[in-house]
Amino acid sequence: MTVRRDGDVLCLEGRCGAEDAETLLVALQEDPRLVVDASALLRLHLAVAQVLLACKPQIRAAPPDILLATTIFAGWSDM
Amino acid sequence: MDELLEQFLLEGRDLVAQASDDFAALRRRPDDAGAVDSAFRAMHTLKGSVAIFAMMPAERALHAAETLLETARTRGGAIGIEALDGLVACLDQVDRWIDDMEAFGALPQDAAPIADRLVSRLAGHTPGPETADAAAMSDGAIWADLIAERHPSIVAAADTVLTAFRYSPSADCFFQGEDPLAIAMAVPELLSLDVLPAGGEWPARGDIEPFACISVLEGISAAGPDKVRSSFRLVPDRVEVTTIGAGDAAARSSTGTRDSKGGDILRVPSARIDAMADGLGELIVAVNAVAGLTRDAARIDRSLAASVQAVQAKLEQVTGRLHGELSAVRAVTLENMVRRLPRLVREIADGLGKKVSFNVQGDELEVDKQIADGLFEPLLHLLRNAIDHGAEPSDSRTAAGKTADCTITLRFLRSGDSIEVVLSDDGAGIDPRRIREAAVDRALLPRADVDVLSDAEALRLIFSPGFSTAHTVTSVSGRGVGMDAVKAAIERLRGTLAVESAVGEGTTFRIRLQAGALTTPLLLVHVGAERYGVALDQIVETARLGEGALQAVGGGRACVLRGRTVPVVSLGALLNTGEPDDPLARVLITQAGGDRVAVRVDRFGERFNAFVRPPVGMLAAVPGVTGSALMGDGSVLLVLDLPELLA
Repeated sequence: MTVRRDGDVLCLEGRCGAEDAETLLVALQEDPRLVVDASALLRLHLAVAQVLLACKPQIRAAPPDILLATTIFAGWSDM
Repeated sequence: MDELLEQFLLEGRDLVAQASDDFAALRRRPDDAGAVDSAFRAMHTLKGSVAIFAMMPAERALHAAETLLETARTRGGAIGIEALDGLVACLDQVDRWIDDMEAFGALPQDAAPIADRLVSRLAGHTPGPETADAAAMSDGAIWADLIAERHPSIVAAADTVLTAFRYSPSADCFFQGEDPLAIAMAVPELLSLDVLPAGGEWPARGDIEPFACISVLEGISAAGPDKVRSSFRLVPDRVEVTTIGAGDAAARSSTGTRDSKGGDILRVPSARIDAMADGLGELIVAVNAVAGLTRDAARIDRSLAASVQAVQAKLEQVTGRLHGELSAVRAVTLENMVRRLPRLVREIADGLGKKVSFNVQGDELEVDKQIADGLFEPLLHLLRNAIDHGAEPSDSRTAAGKTADCTITLRFLRSGDSIEVVLSDDGAGIDPRRIREAAVDRALLPRADVDVLSDAEALRLIFSPGFSTAHTVTSVSGRGVGMDAVKAAIERLRGTLAVESAVGEGTTFRIRLQAGALTTPLLLVHVGAERYGVALDQIVETARLGEGALQAVGGGRACVLRGRTVPVVSLGALLNTGEPDDPLARVLITQAGGDRVAVRVDRFGERFNAFVRPPVGMLAAVPGVTGSALMGDGSVLLVLDLPELLA
């Protein structure tokens, strides 16, 4: 399970593949207030990344990968 | 005013004018790629500028316009006429908001819903990501510029050339098992990576299609172009690679955002130039005072007088040169003034449901700033008039064998030291018979006087105070200012206004003005203990009247000059400083409301050139005062406006 809901928090964990994009999107469409926690995220497929960028959920924790943290998770806020 | 805001007003309007020119070019040639690029840059920079201020709605509207242009730019092809109308509407609105920022420091309350309407109007013409995906690859310069702009610190810190790339995966790449993000993140020595919406804007949450790639990836790498390209070896046709360097990027962004005319251009608030002109005026006056000193010195020591005179000559020469330089600095092209007109013409025409095509020629001419500033209001009024009264409805135009749109042309021509402003329309023209009728109806002139007027003379009646032949007073023309106000405004600029018209063919207004008007030739007049300046061009002639030449006529006085009886008005009485009792009368003849009037003064003084400063503060409220000039002894001279004083 790479997209896991924990109360009001959506946790992205491990390697998020293209198939996770729909799960993430449906979750965010159903509850736009969900907060995303990426502290355990290792890799992110573009399909998932663009859902995050388009939906702009609140991000609670950036992923440990510095490049991932500075591209997707830093860049989204000033889009 | 806040310096930042002041700068924004200047640059913002420049950018609006730039985009406006580009849109005009696109209207002529909808596939003009250069114009699309230029408009895109202007809108992009403008968006960046408005972001500094509380102008969120403007930012949103500009973003939508930028997106439309960006899509057109990457896809190639023409911009449709409706999309162009949307862009122009957006630009006009932003221009109005810039005016609001200047006037109120904030946007009006309705800005957000207006922006919403603009955004949806523009979005309606922006192709979605599916079509954008089929896009041809775009020209390198702009996207690379934008990457560099997003990451100025990376570019600035680089001491070598950097490689920028833009990777546009196909929409269905996810189905082929590709992960474009993984590919891009594998680029060696990656310094930045941005995932951007391919359509310019991310779709709304409800419209996202999770299995379609709707992103483009743009990044900067410190590795060479070949190494970067090799990262994309499986998708070579989906990537563009170019080099950017610190200097290169700076040079590029500067061509995008700075004054395109280039060179070492210094932007100075015009108030500073005015202050310099004032300072120079004082200097000229002080130099003139040295002349008196030379005479005094001659009485004491001839050789001293000769030295003082030599110094004076040198001073005069230098101030003369300075004066020339400053006049050149104060000379501005008419473009700045003119660029605000097309939008206003569109607004007026839209408000009246008229179709108008507006052209400007010769606005690169340079005139003194005072002239350029003073021309705006009267020109706007003439334009308003041409659209309201001149332009016929499209159906009656086509029925008369004319184009559906009324053509209004504004031309500026230079002849010697003067400029001519010609505003012509091919509208209905002015019927002198109607003017005559209206003049009689409004009791401006008795029937007998009207009937002897030539057509040209009858036309000039439109400049009479209170004249309006409009059958319905519209919100546009009916603002309580008639053509007499236009004439007065032109006369304040020491210009003349003429009108020609042919029924069914159109009307032409000609304004003739001095191109440079830094100093005004004045005549000093004395009344009682006071002295005043009168502009020489308001004086037809001066005369001394012998004893008994003044005759009591009705309640006033008159004199006979060249066989005509001219009313005599005492300046002392006008200014409440008392009547002269000298039996010998000195009068200056001026033209007031078409008639000659003799204005009696106590004494004439010298003629001289002076900087006449427009009246400020309390002086501005005093009728009959054109402004003030500084005298050699440091005193301030009031300069009178005789026609206004006599009105």
